[in-house]
Amino acid sequence: MGPKLYKSVIEDVINEVRELFLDEGVDEQVLLELKTLWENKLLQSKAVEGFHTEEQAALQTAQQQHPHSQQAQQVAQAAPAQQVIQIPSQQQAPQQQVIVQDSKMIQHMNSTGMTAAATAATLALPTGVTPYQQLITSQGQLLQVVRAPNGTQYIIQPQQQIVLQNQMQPGGVQAPIIQQVLAPLQGGLPQQAGVIIQPQQIVLAPGNKVQGTTQVMQAAAMAPQPGQAAAAQVQQGAAVAAAQAPAQPAAPQQQPQAQPQAQQPAMMVQLDGTGDSSSDEDEDEEEEYDEDDEEEKDKTGGEDGQVEEEPLNSGDDVSDDENQELFDTENVVVCQYDKIHRSKNKWKFHLKDGIMNLNGRDYVFSKSIGDAEW
Amino acid sequence: MAYQLYRNTTLGNSLQESLDELIQTQQITPQLALQVLLQFDKAINTALANRVRNRVNFRGSLNTYRFCDNVWTFVLNDVEFREVTDLVKVDKVKIVACDGKNSGSNAAE
Repeated sequence: MGPKLYKSVIEDVINEVRELFLDEGVDEQVLLELKTLWENKLLQSKAVEGFHTEEQAALQTAQQQHPHSQQAQQVAQAAPAQQVIQIPSQQQAPQQQVIVQDSKMIQHMNSTGMTAAATAATLALPTGVTPYQQLITSQGQLLQVVRAPNGTQYIIQPQQQIVLQNQMQPGGVQAPIIQQVLAPLQGGLPQQAGVIIQPQQIVLAPGNKVQGTTQVMQAAAMAPQPGQAAAAQVQQGAAVAAAQAPAQPAAPQQQPQAQPQAQQPAMMVQLDGTGDSSSDEDEDEEEEYDEDDEEEKDKTGGEDGQVEEEPLNSGDDVSDDENQELFDTENVVVCQYDKIHRSKNKWKFHLKDGIMNLNGRDYVFSKSIGDAEW
Repeated sequence: MAYQLYRNTTLGNSLQESLDELIQTQQITPQLALQVLLQFDKAINTALANRVRNRVNFRGSLNTYRFCDNVWTFVLNDVEFREVTDLVKVDKVKIVACDGKNSGSNAAE
């Protein structure tokens, strides 16, 4: 398919929207930029042959390398720019999960004991927001729990280069850092969001004052409505999960007193995933399962066909993945139908005005007739 | 209003991506982008109807079919597309087809 059709469409569209752009007060330059972006993407897709002259093609390849470096710079520049945390006056509706992995709640730092980093981070906070507590993650980063004037709390990680990932990572792997994530610690730590701190281990390093865990719980628990404190589910080791059980506001307060006694050893937090520690339960369940299975086998009279449980009827599964081509494109035809006909399992297609993308290339047709058996 | 059917094509997607980039950099408003897309719908529908004049045939096996909201969606396997000049074979193809009669009456995909 020659490039003329697409070019003419582009020209038509650009010309038609020129007026729209002017009406909105948008500069002609932006319109040209739109056209350029559009054409470049078409070029890059290689869906159409010979879309541009050779000169422009050569220019295109040179530009392809350039934007990459530009993008890298922009990302790097954007990161520090985003360190100034914007806490809107209204609470943000989308709630985000902060997964602080492998974090060790080691110390609680009083306001008097703030480090330089903490001070800088505090100064960066908008007015009206005071740092409430600071937590240190396994990477030695400073987390600040901040209380906003309206009573909600946020956990801020004023560090750079962060990718938000929801994966549980095996112990020992450095967790990716989360950038500028505001996690409002609301009264109930609603289930969708809030803070999920999934430490693989809560290690209270020997010699440290065992106050860290308490403070975490306090951070979570100190909400406008203590009745819904997320710390309700805090177990020994101070894992904070979604709030469900009724709060125990007394618990965080009591624990500071109990702290000196409880130099706790490394506790596995009871969460699903690689950090799961509910091994006892699993064993029980497995035993029951085996028993049931054995009973079934006895009942059926000892069929020889199925020895294991997993491949049960797996031969019935239909997999779509097996026949995929090497090409990434899903071959798509977008068109209109004149008539679709079926006789028993024989189908006839009468189509028109279609654009096809097959094996990465674009084709068009004004009419198409097809046959298929179902 | 013309079908928005053709937005999910190379041409349409590249336009949408370009518009998104301009929105990101706040050079245009989303409203204006929408207007551009609507204009694109008209232009591509007209171009296909008036400037394209070729036929393609195809044959294959029908894996699935769906008819919903007057839109047919088929998935075919082991298909050969035949034009006068050349032949294209694919293992799997999805065909999305809107009603061709009164093509101006339905705007939804």
